[in-house]
Amino acid sequence: MIHEFFIQDFTWFFIYLIIVLSFNLAFGFTGMVNLGHMVSVGIGAYTSALLTLNGVPWYIALLAAGIIACVIGTIIAAITVRLKGDYFQIVTLGLIFIAIAVSRNWISLTRGALGLPGVPDIIRSNFYYMLFTMVLSLMALWFVYWLTNSETGKIFQAIRDDETATAILGKNTYFYKVLSLAISTFLAGIAGGLMVHQINFVDPSIFDLEQFIIILFMLIVGGLASIKGSILGVFLLFALIDLLRFLVVRPELIGPVRQMALLLILLLVLIYRPKGIFGKVDI
Amino acid sequence: MPSILPQLIINGLIAGSIYALAAAGFALVYYVVKFQYFSHGAMIAAGAYFFFLFANVLGLSFAIAGILAIACTIIITLAVNYLVYLPLRKRKATSNVMLITSVVLLMFFSSLILALFGSSTKTLVLGSEGQIFDFGLFTITSLQAYIIFFAIALFFVLYLIMKKTRIGKAMRALADNKSVAQVVGINPERVYTYVFIISGAFAAVSGILVGLEQNLYPKMGVIIIIKGFISSVVGGLGSVPGSVIGGFFIGLIENVGVWYLPTGYKDLISFSVMILFLLLRPQGILGVKLRDDT
Repeated sequence: MIHEFFIQDFTWFFIYLIIVLSFNLAFGFTGMVNLGHMVSVGIGAYTSALLTLNGVPWYIALLAAGIIACVIGTIIAAITVRLKGDYFQIVTLGLIFIAIAVSRNWISLTRGALGLPGVPDIIRSNFYYMLFTMVLSLMALWFVYWLTNSETGKIFQAIRDDETATAILGKNTYFYKVLSLAISTFLAGIAGGLMVHQINFVDPSIFDLEQFIIILFMLIVGGLASIKGSILGVFLLFALIDLLRFLVVRPELIGPVRQMALLLILLLVLIYRPKGIFGKVDI
Repeated sequence: MPSILPQLIINGLIAGSIYALAAAGFALVYYVVKFQYFSHGAMIAAGAYFFFLFANVLGLSFAIAGILAIACTIIITLAVNYLVYLPLRKRKATSNVMLITSVVLLMFFSSLILALFGSSTKTLVLGSEGQIFDFGLFTITSLQAYIIFFAIALFFVLYLIMKKTRIGKAMRALADNKSVAQVVGINPERVYTYVFIISGAFAAVSGILVGLEQNLYPKMGVIIIIKGFISSVVGGLGSVPGSVIGGFFIGLIENVGVWYLPTGYKDLISFSVMILFLLLRPQGILGVKLRDDT
């Protein structure tokens, strides 16, 4: 019998693995520095929560979470991908704050800052839910592995390394960049749905920068454009959080100290080894 | 209800001065050192909390606390430059790394403040409460009048530094063409130090003014720099005067927009304006040439 604590931890591990893999697909493999990745996760979480709360079966809700996140992500990508210079990063960073403003103020839909409590479980047993997230994350892992080794994936990486050269070779780089973001946001939406059925609650804080820092840590410390790096990144973050849980004595300091430790490690990695542990490319 | 329009415009000017102050420090670094300096928000929060520490906790007089807060903020700004940004510049880090690093620093300082001062909001208590002037059409407190006055005075000082002093000329030369500036004997790192000193002083002053007008909370730096940054994009990234104009523009639009929309949508208004500008007029109000370095 596995201890309840580890079941919860493993479930989170698998959910975050999907998020980081999809983040890596756009950020690491295609070079699209999408700082608003958690917005897609949050859209997925809200979609699945609202649908299941209104009696829609979970499998439709979970699929809809992916599809809605993907549709919104694709529309935004189609508009913003053409922006020059740093402006794509800037707009995607701005999306975080737009998502916070909308989720706080569209009260008739999201209940604002109160959030949506009582989201039903998909599977009552935590152990079987862990297995369910494991199966989905393995599917995502296999899919991202297959995609990045396919011809499409090679084009993604060619765009990251030299977009002009790829365009000269006759590839429609605009289409491939939007495609990469569409797949990335679809997976993120599914992960958001899994997340909301795990904690049975969602509120605007899912969009907060603190949440984004977590996946940024996993991606950058693990390594860009590396699948094994993403797995390691997620693992390291959970190991660090569990370690700090035992080291920090005063409960009101756990939050800020954990955040500072994460950010300090992230800062050192950015300064001295921006490729991360298994990373193949520089951003 | 046109009678509240003058009041909304005055509120817009007050918010605009705060945004413009934040935008000026951000834009100065962007203009000369060429990266997205989001950690400026952290320095604004640091300035406000230093002032809180000296004026309210230690009970020093307003002027001494202000000078100490400015000095401490400048020291932290320089320390961050030497410990973080200098190694990155030496390694010729890409603009993506610089951008992410500055966001990480911003979050780091907000957690540090949370750990040191707790999550409760702090109020800066002045010896005498501000007077309220009633002009019939609108009211304004003496503090708010000071904010507008200080902001405009500081922009004037910054303008003089940039146009009249040797160091200002060196900054403009570096901003225009780094290699040519180096050929004529300008040491970039030395000039960057001055840039960070000026931006640190701006951060401290805007932190103190924001702290007096609103309250202090650990994430205040994040909220303020986002607005400062939007102002800078709208006014023209890489243009200091443009960013100041952008600050007042965003302050006015947000506050007049409240006439039509609920207050909670203020953020949405400014972000939508920023995105519209990025798509339709990426060079901003003042029309600065687009820097394409990717």
